[in-house]
Amino acid sequence: MKREYVDVTIDGREIRAPRGEKILWVALENGIEIPHLCALKGQDPPWGGCRLCWVEVEGRGLVTACTEPVRQGMVVHTDTPSVRRLQRRALELLLADHPMDCKNCPKRDRCELLKWMRFLKVKVPKDLRPFPEKRYPVDTSHPVLNFDPNKCILCGRCVWIAKEVVGCGVFDFVWRGYDIRISTFMGKPLKDTDCNGCLKCAEVCPVGALWGK
Amino acid sequence: MNWEEIKSRAEAKWSALEEAPLHIRIGTPTCGRAAGALETLRIFRERLQREGLDVPLTEVGCMGLCFAEPLVIISKPESGFPPICYKNVRFDEAQKLINDFILGDDPCLEIALGTVELGQDDAPVIPELERFEIERRLVLKNCGWIDPEDIDHYIARGGYSALRDVLLGKDPEQVIAEIGQAGLRGRGGAGFLTSRKWASCRRQKSEPKYLICNADEGDPGAFMDRVVLESDPHSVIEGMIIAGYAIGAAKGFIYTRMEYPLVIERLQKALEQARAYGLLGEDIFGSGFSFDIEVIRGAGAFICGESTAMTYSIEGKRGMPRVRPPRSVERGLWGQPTVVNNVKTLALVTRIMEMGPDEFREIGTRSSPGTAVFALAGKVKQIGLCEVPMGTTLRQVIFEVGGGVPEGKEFKAVQIGGPAGGCVGEEALDLPVDFDSFRAAGAIMGSGGMIVLDNSNCMVETARFFLDFLSREDCGKCSFGRLGIKQLLMILEDITAGRGKEGDIELLEGLCEDLLQGCLCNLGRTAPNPVLTTLRYFRSEYEAHIRERRCPALVCRDLIAYFILPEKCEKGCDHCVLTCPTEAIVTDERTRKKRILQDKCVKCGTCLEVCPPEYSAVIKVSPPEKVKELESREA
Amino acid sequence: MSKEEVEAVEEVLESCPRERRHLIRILQAIQEKLGYLPEDALREVALFFGISPAEVYGVATFYNQFRFVPLGKFHIVVCMGTACHSMGGALVLDAFQRELGIKVGEVTPDRKYSLERVGCIGCCTQAPVVVVNGRIFPKMTPYKVEEVLAKLKAEDELGGDKEQG
Repeated sequence: MKREYVDVTIDGREIRAPRGEKILWVALENGIEIPHLCALKGQDPPWGGCRLCWVEVEGRGLVTACTEPVRQGMVVHTDTPSVRRLQRRALELLLADHPMDCKNCPKRDRCELLKWMRFLKVKVPKDLRPFPEKRYPVDTSHPVLNFDPNKCILCGRCVWIAKEVVGCGVFDFVWRGYDIRISTFMGKPLKDTDCNGCLKCAEVCPVGALWGK
Repeated sequence: MNWEEIKSRAEAKWSALEEAPLHIRIGTPTCGRAAGALETLRIFRERLQREGLDVPLTEVGCMGLCFAEPLVIISKPESGFPPICYKNVRFDEAQKLINDFILGDDPCLEIALGTVELGQDDAPVIPELERFEIERRLVLKNCGWIDPEDIDHYIARGGYSALRDVLLGKDPEQVIAEIGQAGLRGRGGAGFLTSRKWASCRRQKSEPKYLICNADEGDPGAFMDRVVLESDPHSVIEGMIIAGYAIGAAKGFIYTRMEYPLVIERLQKALEQARAYGLLGEDIFGSGFSFDIEVIRGAGAFICGESTAMTYSIEGKRGMPRVRPPRSVERGLWGQPTVVNNVKTLALVTRIMEMGPDEFREIGTRSSPGTAVFALAGKVKQIGLCEVPMGTTLRQVIFEVGGGVPEGKEFKAVQIGGPAGGCVGEEALDLPVDFDSFRAAGAIMGSGGMIVLDNSNCMVETARFFLDFLSREDCGKCSFGRLGIKQLLMILEDITAGRGKEGDIELLEGLCEDLLQGCLCNLGRTAPNPVLTTLRYFRSEYEAHIRERRCPALVCRDLIAYFILPEKCEKGCDHCVLTCPTEAIVTDERTRKKRILQDKCVKCGTCLEVCPPEYSAVIKVSPPEKVKELESREA
Repeated sequence: MSKEEVEAVEEVLESCPRERRHLIRILQAIQEKLGYLPEDALREVALFFGISPAEVYGVATFYNQFRFVPLGKFHIVVCMGTACHSMGGALVLDAFQRELGIKVGEVTPDRKYSLERVGCIGCCTQAPVVVVNGRIFPKMTPYKVEEVLAKLKAEDELGGDKEQG
């Protein structure tokens, strides 16, 4: 198959990239870091929910890199003050809503929240009002998979994997607004669902919400 | 039946009504029903039957004069009067009208709102009302004058003739060009050029294409689309068929709210009647063009008014918006090219085809041609709908069309553009209403809700109310929407509850700026507007709440207290004591004067409401500590 | 589900084309018949469309209209649209909560009353309004709340008598 390529400039580097590819994947493949929490390659349309992967495109302004395709001659900056401001704020909001129980977290060694906190030099914000504490039960009923909805940051990766890749449909978003959460059918324990324990959802979960035993 | 037969039969039916010795119109839209219109209808029906009078009684929609409902229009040519419109017709008025005017010859002018004439564009007007000097009714042309459940009324007033001319005489490109020439901008709020949207959909190669009529009018305090669909559904249906033809769609959807049962009922009837006449379905007017419409009943989600969310909802999914581009015209319903147009936009399409683009263009302003429909509510005398040329000032709309604020109150602000619009104060009243001026004032045109606020409304509480609404209705998908809106709300809740802190205003402003840029969809990106506009026009109220724990408008419950002025309280009166839901009011055994036990009071305001006006002994004070001052003064 | 409920769900499913887009319509139809969406009904619907029950539950919870427990005999809806709010709708809602001893979204233990708030029902001229089983009560005040409840109670007792007779 003939592929078409375009030339773009990211942070001053000239890069040849497949036409139509999203800025995020082009940057990452070329070793340029862009903070992101919800994007998964292959999602169509991209989810775009975490609002972390901001970049500035000349002539176009601030866009999320996971949704914006590269175009010929595009000039992209990943490290401008307005990019960082939005990224920090988005991350701060997520942190203010996340139980910072890192000591006991099964994912503490590969937590993506921590990774981007370090990258963006962000701390748990003090000026924001603390969000109401979540007290959902932790589901350890399944022989292989554990689920702690309190730690979930609503990135939706597990829902997409379950629906589009594995096809088990165990999880979906339920309710909405601040009350939105990831849930099994009517909040049933995982052992009573069609989960076969493939752990694909736990692999993509960026935080300690889903993990294998 | 062919079109000529349909049309001449409809015209005969209509003129029989027009020329009848007596004809009674009663408005029974949802707003009329809430005011008791069905009861009025029943009274007329029963009484006429009892009197053995065979008088045609037509149920019509809403003329927009909701403050005067139930509304009755009586035509009695032999009286020498034009049709007369009566206001607030309930039991007594109905009996009086039947006794004195229908059976007698006294036109009961003392309960009349005015006479009805057909004015410009053939729309009914009441010359006695000042508002009609300003109003120009295009969208509302038939509203309140025809029976919305009888397609013949619509046809007799010229309906579906424009569609026929389009299908038999114009190609789709020409229709788009004329809509472009008219300069029509979408009435849903953003004001995007309709012709550009249509042309871009027409250009798409992928088939099939879809048309969606956005009737998911979720803005609290807005009811324009409800009135139009309940009062004149065919104007919208005709516009949809024209739009479908122009963009190359064979299927249209009307997405409306489950809270609007009468809209759904009347739409279904209208669609059936149009199908029966061959105006919908296969090969309309023998033109070869086929089009049909399905009504979708939303299930209660404000966010579904956003076009990408609406397409997901029609597909039977969660209505969570997706990132644009691609826009709906490229990738909409089931991934196919889709145009989403507002109810009023589509009704105006019909009007433009009837009157011609040039005449339409002459109405309104250069950049925003045509008219704007507003729903006026809140602290204004003539609550209801109005339609004015774009460029009319807000002051004219509120004070001349709406009659201004009721006596004894003072105008404070007007909230425009729906929950994510803005509150603008006195200094913005001379703004002309059009898409661009509103944006400059920090508000958005929105779809036309206009809530007038007076000095008894607290602006911080108003902002809190809208953020509360938006946070309930936010979809939860993106971090800025889910957490940012909630964070704004939590800060506002603190401020209105007297827990505001120094620095909160700056924190609000910073967050607002981030949300404006950071949210995924337009709901989120406009959510800061209520906060930003109230901060811009009423900053001192925020400061009073935060620094003095005082609510200047005496609204925020944690910052006020009720107090009974002993010098005004009447010994013999027990109204407040008897009605207080928490038994918080006690009578002093010696003086028989009443006193409020502050720790039992839930601040419901009942005592203030029931205290007879000749005493007016109950007052509100802020901050609540003021009560102690007043009490010690007594001691 | 009871036998009647199972039959009602079957009837709804039989009358509907098996296209995914009709999911919301079907949930509406079931709720119209049963007053709520029982767990087993959601499972049946999932089976009917060949999608996961979690997806059906996800759609149903997204929309305000759907509920998963039966409503009270009198379903009280307080409008909290802008106009109603500016005319004191919150005080009316408070009064109902106080008088009924339940919060928004709850049902009284005797299943007689359920309470809900709604965005706007488009009757802004009559603000603040309350709707009970489709009947509109205009220009409400906290004081009138007691009257409305007394009226409903009387109707309930009257209805009860009829059933006995």
